[in-house]
Amino acid sequence: MKTVISSWLLFRLLFQPTAVFEELSETRPEPHSVFLKFVVWLAIIPPVFAYIGASNFGWRLGAAEPLFMPSGDLILVSIIYFFALLFAFVSTAVVAQWMATTYGARHSLGIHFALVTIIAAPLVVGSAIHLFPHVFLNIVVLIPALMWSMYLLYRGLPIVLKISPERGMLMASALIGYLLVAAVSFLGLTVALWGQGIGPSIGI
Amino acid sequence: MVSGTVEGERYFDRVVTALVMFSVIWAVLGMTVGVYIAAELIWPTLDFGLPWLSFGRLRPLHTNAVIFGFGVSALMGTAFYSVQRTSHVPLYAPRLAWFCCYAWQFTLLLGGLSLLAGWNTSKEYAELEWPFDIAITVIWVCFAIVFFGTIARRRIKPIYVSNWFYGGMIIVIAMIHIVNSLAIPVTISKSYSLFAGAQDAIVQWWYGHNAVGFLLTGGFLGMMYYFLPKQADRPIWSYRLSIVAFWAFTYSYIWAGPHHLHYSSIPDWVQSLAVAMSLILLAPSWATMINGIMTVSGASQKLRTDPALKFIVLSLAFYGLATFEGPMLAIKSVNVISHYTDWTIGHVHSGALGWNALITFGTFYFLVPRLVGTVLYSVRLANIHFWMALAGTMLYILAMWGAGVSQGLLWLSLDEIGELSFSFKDIMASMPPYYALRFVAGLVFLLGAVLMTYNLYMTIRGRRTIHVRPPAVTSHQV
Repeated sequence: MKTVISSWLLFRLLFQPTAVFEELSETRPEPHSVFLKFVVWLAIIPPVFAYIGASNFGWRLGAAEPLFMPSGDLILVSIIYFFALLFAFVSTAVVAQWMATTYGARHSLGIHFALVTIIAAPLVVGSAIHLFPHVFLNIVVLIPALMWSMYLLYRGLPIVLKISPERGMLMASALIGYLLVAAVSFLGLTVALWGQGIGPSIGI
Repeated sequence: MVSGTVEGERYFDRVVTALVMFSVIWAVLGMTVGVYIAAELIWPTLDFGLPWLSFGRLRPLHTNAVIFGFGVSALMGTAFYSVQRTSHVPLYAPRLAWFCCYAWQFTLLLGGLSLLAGWNTSKEYAELEWPFDIAITVIWVCFAIVFFGTIARRRIKPIYVSNWFYGGMIIVIAMIHIVNSLAIPVTISKSYSLFAGAQDAIVQWWYGHNAVGFLLTGGFLGMMYYFLPKQADRPIWSYRLSIVAFWAFTYSYIWAGPHHLHYSSIPDWVQSLAVAMSLILLAPSWATMINGIMTVSGASQKLRTDPALKFIVLSLAFYGLATFEGPMLAIKSVNVISHYTDWTIGHVHSGALGWNALITFGTFYFLVPRLVGTVLYSVRLANIHFWMALAGTMLYILAMWGAGVSQGLLWLSLDEIGELSFSFKDIMASMPPYYALRFVAGLVFLLGAVLMTYNLYMTIRGRRTIHVRPPAVTSHQV
C-alpha cells in the first residue's frame, strides 16, 4: 500500500473525483507527511490572499467606504486566520477519526488528513476571491465552492474510508454537524475578538 | 391499568391523518408568506400600498402560520399517534381530539385574518389578540385532557420518554401562554398587557424563549424520540441519557429567556443568570443529539430503502448547530455585535428549517404511507426534496451570517473623530444582495415543501386511514 500521495492527485480531483477517491482508498499516507506537504501550504493560501486584498483595497461591506485596518492589526488577523485554518484541518481529521469507530470506517489518522485536505481543496481555490475583499462577492463565490466541497465529502468519504454509501451518508452528515458548529464558533470568536479591540475599530 | 385488549378496540388515527394534512397546508402557506416578505425586503413596493400586504402585517402571519399552523398541527398529530402506541391504548376522548384538530385550524384561520386586519398585541410570537388567546387556552386544555387521559389509561407501566417531552410541552406552553397573555381588553381587537415596562419585557421573553424551548425544541424532541427509533428499527441508544437530558433540559431552559434582553433596562444579574443557564443548556441539548446520532448509526441499511431517515439524520446536525449557536449568541461579548442584526434571523432559521422542518418532513414521509397502509408515491421525489431542503437551509444560513456580521460591524464602526461611520439607512440600503440570496434560499426550500405536498397527496389520494389494533400486553410489561 502506498504511503505518499502526490500533488497531481489534487489537480485530478477537478476532473476525475471518483478515480482519485478510489486511488486514495488504496493508500495509507502518514499524517505528518500530509500535514507538511499539503495542509500547511493550503492553509497559508487564504490568509495571504486576504492580506493582499485587505491591505490594498480594504474590506467592502456594502456601505460606501471600504474598511482599512492598521497594518499591524491586519498581519495579526491574517496570522490568526492561518492558525484557525490549521486548527480546522487538524480538528476535522481528528474528529473524523474518532467517528470512524462508530461507523466501522478506516481508522488511520493519515487517511483522514488526506480526506479532509481533498474536501477543503475547492474552498482553498475559492479563497482567491479574498483578493477582492467585498463580503457579498466572497459569499457568492464561496457558496459554489462549498457545494463542491460538500459533494466531495458525501461522494468521497465512503470510498476512501471503505464503508457502504449508507454509512458514508451518516458519517458525512455527522461531520457536517461538526463543521457547522466549527464555522459558527469561528464567527463567534471573530466578533468577540473585535470587542477586545483586535480587528476593525468599533465603538464598544 | 388493565392488561390485555378489548374486543374491537382500535387506535384513533383518522384525526392524526387530518392533522398531518392541515400541517402540510400550513407549511406551504406559511413558507409562501415567508418568501413573499423576503421579496418585499428587496422590492418594497411589492406591498402595492395595501396595509394588509405590508411587511408589518405579513411577518406575524408568516411566523404564526409556520409555528402554530405547521408546527403545532404536526406536534398534535404525532403526539396523538405516538401516545396511543406507547400506551397500548386508544385515545382518551377521541371526540375531544377532533375538537382540538378543527378548533385549532379555525382559530388560526381567523387569527391569521385578524393579523392581516392589523390586530396585534405587539408581543413577538404572541401577536394574536385576547379573543384568540382565550380560544387557544381552551383548545390547549382539551389537548392536555386527551393526551394525559390517554397516558392515565395506559396498559404499560413506564411512560416512554417521547411522552415526557410532549407532556412537558403541553404543561409549559399552557403556563407561559396564560401568564404572558394576561391583559385588560379595551375593545374586541385591542388589549393592554397586565405587565408594564421591564417586567413586560421579561415576561414576554420568558414566554418567547420557552415557546422556542418547549414547543420548537421539546415538542419536536418528543417527535424525534418516538419516530427515530421506529424508523431505525432499534431502541434508543441510551434510554437513561434521554431521561436525564429531559430533566436537565426542563430545568435549565426556563431561566434563559432574559438573554434576549442584553444591555437593556432589565437588572444586570438577570442577564448574567440567563447567560449562565444558556451555557448549561448546551449539555442536555447535545446529550439528546448524541443519543439520536448513536441510535441511527447502527441502522445504515435502512437508508437504502427509506428516504425519511435522511431528513432526520440531517435535522440532528442542524439541531447541533442551532443549540450551540444559541448559547454562543447569548454570551454578552458576542451578543453586543449580533443583537438586532440578521444573524438572529439566520439562527432562528437554522433551527426552524434545519431542525423543525426537516424532522417533520422525515416524520411525514414515514408516517403518511403507514397511516393509509401503502408505500410512498415517489422515493425519487423525496430524495430531490432532501437535497433542496439542505441547499435551501445552507444558503439561508450563509446569507444571514454574511448580512448579520456585516450589519453588526458597520453600525458600531467609528471614524477618526470617534463618531459612527455609517447611518442605519446607508447600511440597510446595502443589504439587498444578501436579501436576494435569502429569497432564493427560501424559494428553494418552499419548492421542496411543495414537492412533498404533491408526493404525500398522491400517496394518500383515494385511500382511507387503516385500522390498527393495540397489541396484547404481556404480563411482564404491565
